[in-house]
Amino acid sequence: MSEHRTWLHAKAAGMDLLIATSDLREVVASAPVSPLPGRPAGIAGVVVYEGEFLPVLAWDELPGCVAPPGRPQALAVLRPRLGIPLERLVGTTDLPHGILREPEESDPALPWLGGVAHEEGQVFRLLDADRLVALLRRFRGEH
Amino acid sequence: MGGRFRIPDSLDRCRCHHERGQLLDQSFDDVWAECEDLFAQARKTLASLKEIQPAHVVQASVNALFRTTHTLKGMAGMLGFPSFSRAAHRMEDIFDLMRQGRLRSTDSLVETLEAGMMALEAGLNGLRRGRPEPEDYLFPLRKQLGELEALARPTEGGSQDLTSLLDLPPDLLKALSEYERTRVTALLMSGMPIHGATICLEFATFDERLRVLNEALAALGELVSTLPCDVPEDREGLGFLLLAGCPSLDAAMLPLLEGELVGTALLADPSRVPESLRNPPAAPEEEALPPAPEPEPAAPPPGPPVQEVEILRLPAHRVEALEARLMAVGQLRDAASLLLHKGMDIRDDRPAALMNQIQDGLLEVQKSLLQMRMVRVESLFSRIEPMVKSLSRDTGKPVKLAFQGGDLELERGLLGRLTDPFLHLVRNAVDHGLEPPSERLALGKSEAGSIRLSASQRGRNIRFDIRDDGRGFDLARIETRGVTLGLLKAGQAHTPERLHRLTLEPGFSTQERASQISGRGVGMDVVRSEIEALGGEIHLSSEARRGSLIRLSIPLSRAVVSCLKVRCDRQSFGIPLGNVVRVQAGDQVHRGGDQVTVFGNSIPMESLQACLGLAEPDGQRSFVVLSTQGASARSVEVAIGVDAILGRGEVLLRSLPELAHAAGIMGGSPQEDGILWVLDPEATLSLAMNSLMRRVAHV
Repeated sequence: MSEHRTWLHAKAAGMDLLIATSDLREVVASAPVSPLPGRPAGIAGVVVYEGEFLPVLAWDELPGCVAPPGRPQALAVLRPRLGIPLERLVGTTDLPHGILREPEESDPALPWLGGVAHEEGQVFRLLDADRLVALLRRFRGEH
Repeated sequence: MGGRFRIPDSLDRCRCHHERGQLLDQSFDDVWAECEDLFAQARKTLASLKEIQPAHVVQASVNALFRTTHTLKGMAGMLGFPSFSRAAHRMEDIFDLMRQGRLRSTDSLVETLEAGMMALEAGLNGLRRGRPEPEDYLFPLRKQLGELEALARPTEGGSQDLTSLLDLPPDLLKALSEYERTRVTALLMSGMPIHGATICLEFATFDERLRVLNEALAALGELVSTLPCDVPEDREGLGFLLLAGCPSLDAAMLPLLEGELVGTALLADPSRVPESLRNPPAAPEEEALPPAPEPEPAAPPPGPPVQEVEILRLPAHRVEALEARLMAVGQLRDAASLLLHKGMDIRDDRPAALMNQIQDGLLEVQKSLLQMRMVRVESLFSRIEPMVKSLSRDTGKPVKLAFQGGDLELERGLLGRLTDPFLHLVRNAVDHGLEPPSERLALGKSEAGSIRLSASQRGRNIRFDIRDDGRGFDLARIETRGVTLGLLKAGQAHTPERLHRLTLEPGFSTQERASQISGRGVGMDVVRSEIEALGGEIHLSSEARRGSLIRLSIPLSRAVVSCLKVRCDRQSFGIPLGNVVRVQAGDQVHRGGDQVTVFGNSIPMESLQACLGLAEPDGQRSFVVLSTQGASARSVEVAIGVDAILGRGEVLLRSLPELAHAAGIMGGSPQEDGILWVLDPEATLSLAMNSLMRRVAHV
C-alpha cells in the first residue's frame, strides 16, 4: 500500500471512497445499466463503453456495503474494465503522509478494501482494484 | 516493394532484434503479411497441381510458383537473411526446371515441393520471432531435392531443341529465350501444334490490348511468347507475334476490336517431330520418375484462364485504426438508439423507420469490416495435410487424415496465432500417438492410423478437436516422470486429468531421446501458454490403446450471428439459428416440465425464464426446439418456452467480458429497445436439462 499517490475522492454506496487514479481508465457520466439475465453476483449489469460491454459493480452485493442511496452520477472505469457507480464526485486528493492504515481483520469490507484513512472525523475507504476483481472472480466461481 | 525500405536501417534493426531475441520491428508487418500471402497462395497452387488439369493450367501454376519463390528470395535478401534467400533460390530453380519441362509435375514431386515451402514458411515464422537463421532451411529435404536436380540435368549431348521446326525467320528464332525454346520443344513433343498470331496495335492502347489477347490465347492453350515484330508500311502502331501452343487458331477465336487486323498461321506441326522424339525411350535417370501424367485428351476443352486473386493487404496499424472506427460507429448507433428510445413520439413512425435504416446500414458496414479480418479455418487445415504426409513418410506410419468444419471463419490474427500450436499438436499425434504399422496390426487395428481434426462453434467459443486412434497417453510413465521432476508427490493417487495436464508443464517430456520430429520437452507448455493467452483452454484426454483427444476452446470476440429473436419477461433474446430445429406457436398453453409434441415426438419443455433464473411465467404458447450440434454427442432436443416470437435477423454479437459472464448468454447486441442478449444454445440446453431434472426431483 503506497500513500504517494493521487486519489479520486467520491461518494459511493454511502461511503467516502478513494480510488487510486493509477487504477482508473477514466470517469464517465453514468448511463442506465442494462440488466443481464443470470448475472454473476457482484455485477449489476452492463453498459456499453467504447463499443464494448462494461460490467458495472453492484455495491449492495459486496461485503460491508449497503445499497447506494441514490442514482449514480458518474461511473469510474477501472483499468481491469469494471465500472464503479459513484453517487457524487468530490475531487482528487493527495493524502497527508502517515494517515493510511491497513484495514482491520474484522472489517467486513476487507475482501475489497485496500486501506482506511481517518482525517478530521471523516473515514475514507480505499478501493483495492486487484482485490475487488479477485473477489468478483471468486463470486463467479462460487456461482 | 524494393523502394519502401532503406536497406541499411532494416538490416540494423533486424540484427538488433536478433541479438535481443525479440520480435522484429512492427514496420515489417507489411513484409510479413506479404510473405504470408505468398505462402498461402503457394500452398493453394501446389495443392491444385495434384489435380488433373489441362497442361496450360499446370504451366500457369508452375509459373506462378516460380514467381512466388523469386519474390521471396528477393525479399529475404533485402531484409538481410542470406540463408533464407539461398533456400528460396533453390526452390525457385526447381520450379524453373518444372516450367522448362525438365521435371514433370507428379504427386511425389509436389509433396517434396510442399515440404520445401513449409520449411521456408516455418523458417520465416522463426525469423519473425527473432530466432537466428539456420545454415540450411532445406537440410531435411536435401536428398529429395538433390535427386530432383540430378533428374532434371540435361543428358549427355545437351537437351533437345525443336524450335528449328518453327516456320519463322532466323532473327525471330534467335529472340526466343531458353525457357521459350524448352516450352516449344515440350509442346511439340507432346503433340501440340504451335500457332502464331501477328497483330498491329495502336500506341495508346497496345498494353491493354496485348493483355486481353494474351489472356485469350492462354485460354485456348499455352501462350509461349510475345515477340515484337515489324509493322506493315501502310499501318502505324506496334507489331507483335504471339506464339501459342493450341490445337487450332483462327482470327475469329480472338477478341478483336474494329480495325484490328490479325494474321494467324500454323508455325510448327507436331507431325514433323521425328517419331523417336515423340515417344522418347525412358532415360536411365528417368526410370526413377513416377509415371508421366495421363496424356491429354485429343481436344482438351479450353479451360478458363487462371484467375489471379487480388489480395488486399492491410498493415496491423491500419486494421487497428479500422477497429477504432468500428467502435466509434457502434457508439454512434448506441447514442442514436438511446435518443430514439427517450424521445420517440409514438404517433410518428418516421424516426423508427430512420433508425431501422441506420441500423441496417451500420450492420452492413460492421459486417464488411469484420469480414475483412476473417479467414476460413480450412486455410489452417491446408497447412496440416502436407506436413502429415511428410511426417508419414519420415516415420513410416501411414496416416488417414480427416477434416471437418473447414468452412468456419475466424479472425485472421487468431488463426495465425493458432497455427504453430496446431502444427505442434498434430506432429505429436503422428510421432508419439500413432503406433508403427506392425504394432497396430498386432493390436488388431488398421495399418493406417487415423487423425481427425474438427472445428465447430460452441456458444461463444470455437472448438478444435484433434483425435487420433493411437496408443493414448502413457499415464504410468507420466506419473513416474512427474515424481522424478518433483511435480507430483510419490505414493499419492493422481487423477487421469491431473496426469494429462502435467504434460503441459514447462520442460515436461517422457521421451528419453528427442526424435527428429518432437519430444524435446518444449512445445506443449508453449501450446498451453499460447492458447491461454488467447483466453482459451486446452483439455487433454486419452484411453490406453484407443487414442487421444486434444480439445482447444478459443473464445470469439465479435461475430455476426443469424438469430431467431424472441421475447421473454420484457427482454429480447436472440437464439443462433444453427441450433434451432423448429419454432412452434399455437393456442395451447404450456408450462415448464410439460411434454410437447413436435414432428410426432414427445419432447420436454422448459421456459427460458426458468433456464436463466428469471421469474417464471404462468404459461407460454410459443416454444423453440433447440438441439445440440456436432456429430460426436447424442443429439438432445428440448423445447424452450418463450413469451413471443419476434422474427429473425442478423446481429453483431459482442462478447461479454469475463467478469460479466452469465450462464446461458453468449453475448449481446445493443438494439433500439435495449440490449438483445444472444443465447449460448448449448449452455441453454444444459440449463434447461438441469431445471427439468430439478422439477422431477422436486428440488
